[in-house]
Amino acid sequence: MFADDGEYWLPIDPERDPTGAISIIRDDRKRLQERVYRLTKTPVLDQNPPSRTVHFVSNVEVEPAQSKGENLVRCHQLIAEMRPGGLGQAGLNAPRWIAARCEYRLRNIDGAWKIAQKKVVFLNSGEPHYNLSFIP
Amino acid sequence: MAVTERTAQSLADLVAVDPAEFRVDGSIYTDPDVFDVEMDRIFARSWVYVGHVSELPAPGDYKTVLIGLQPIIISRHEDGNIYALYNRCRHRGAVVCRQERGHSNFFRCRYHNWVYANNGNLIGMSQATGYPDDFDRSEYGLVRVPRLTNYRGLIFINLAEDGPTLDEHLAPVRKYIDYWFGRSPIEEIDLLVPPHRYEYPGNWKLQVENGYDGYHGNYVHLSWQRVLQLSKESTVEDVQRYRQEGCARGMANGHGLLERPGSLNPAASWTARMMDRYPEYAEAMRQRFSEDQLVEISARRNIFVFPNLYLFDTHIRVIVPKAADKSEVQLYVYALKGIPDKINEGRYRGHERFYGPAGFGAPDDIEVFTEVQTGVRAKGNQWNLLNRGQYRERMENGEWVGHTTDEAPQRSLYRHWRRVMEDNHDSIPGR
Repeated sequence: MFADDGEYWLPIDPERDPTGAISIIRDDRKRLQERVYRLTKTPVLDQNPPSRTVHFVSNVEVEPAQSKGENLVRCHQLIAEMRPGGLGQAGLNAPRWIAARCEYRLRNIDGAWKIAQKKVVFLNSGEPHYNLSFIP
Repeated sequence: MAVTERTAQSLADLVAVDPAEFRVDGSIYTDPDVFDVEMDRIFARSWVYVGHVSELPAPGDYKTVLIGLQPIIISRHEDGNIYALYNRCRHRGAVVCRQERGHSNFFRCRYHNWVYANNGNLIGMSQATGYPDDFDRSEYGLVRVPRLTNYRGLIFINLAEDGPTLDEHLAPVRKYIDYWFGRSPIEEIDLLVPPHRYEYPGNWKLQVENGYDGYHGNYVHLSWQRVLQLSKESTVEDVQRYRQEGCARGMANGHGLLERPGSLNPAASWTARMMDRYPEYAEAMRQRFSEDQLVEISARRNIFVFPNLYLFDTHIRVIVPKAADKSEVQLYVYALKGIPDKINEGRYRGHERFYGPAGFGAPDDIEVFTEVQTGVRAKGNQWNLLNRGQYRERMENGEWVGHTTDEAPQRSLYRHWRRVMEDNHDSIPGR
């Protein structure tokens, strides 16, 4: 779904230039492939037991982007997430709700829409987070 | 049992300094009374790291921190100095600063408009006629924390007026901190803000124990090793073999570190590899340091400075206890000054890949912290073993030196923890 030069960005401070700052996620295509590989093909601890999620999407707006052949899609997301586990297990059985504003820069490549950039800004991006390994 | 009922002896009993089987009682991670005593005897009486001077470059810059559960402002005054101020209006006790970091010419209490300078001085009161003419404002400034010292830009504060100096406290670990700065040819760093922040439902000491743990990597970070293998950067076997080299060191005053061997061979150390790839970096480093110093500088270390600070190769790590079963960890990535930008950018991207709440390595560590936090609630046998390598560690120059997978640093942590919890703060002279 991503273009070859596609990027997935989850900033801590969305106003800062990500080159000289630290983001929670700043993946190019290769890093995103590593992320998916790690989750699906390796014995991760942080997704064992795995997260269950429900995504709510709303307030979708579409507008032309600055580059030709691209559109910008904005939306709000509410991500409900929970990892099941036994009774009294710290960190498990604790539903979380993460609100975010998202922006997708979509590029038309040979008739198909590919993601040139996906930017996800949490409401609490600058606050402490627990286990975001499930790719919100 | 209330805090006041805990005797020094019962606290000391939580750490068994047994020559064959060093161990700790699991309740040190779960008992709220132990936590309260730690916040008082460790965090309110030790040198606690609160930030780096690069976070407060200009007069008026400030950040807020927690020492134990006490809110404190760290601010730079127009006189150029940095002050640590209790974040509490002297009138009716409201915080005078609600932001995490920022810039302000003064701190104003929003309740009744008392105003304080960045050094804490009370400089304004609304409707001051409500107070007698001899009301002495100089007595009612924001209370300053009695001691603040900065070592090479690392700012430490101590809420207690007496006790060891920062120099005495740092003495056993100082030379390693110096080597850590040495990756910059001008021995300076600049912190990036905002930091990564993660929070986990577990005790702060679990993070301390893990940072210099060389035993867990092949298991907890197997997924990371597989990612490196996928990207053809290394094989799982090579990473696991590399993890065997080096040592773990436990020091006096609760400090400790995990160390990988230094080398001027580009295949064997990051520093050497960067010197090989960037001749200007190599030249600057060789002008500043001798060959022996370069070997020490290139040794990759995770350095723990008791009670709350870790120095890693990509970041400064600050551990913030919030409750017996809740802790925050802040990761401040820093630039090494005086080196090509490209090297630092590579360090930032490398940091993002492993660390932080969505990194490929750190969340796996957090997972095992929560597993311990749950497990130690089972009483059966109340002890956690910290005796790995105890039979083979050696005392060298005041340090307990062990194999890279041994628990020498953790033993030094708890030897000091036990003394401090018994209210003994004397520093052991270091070298």
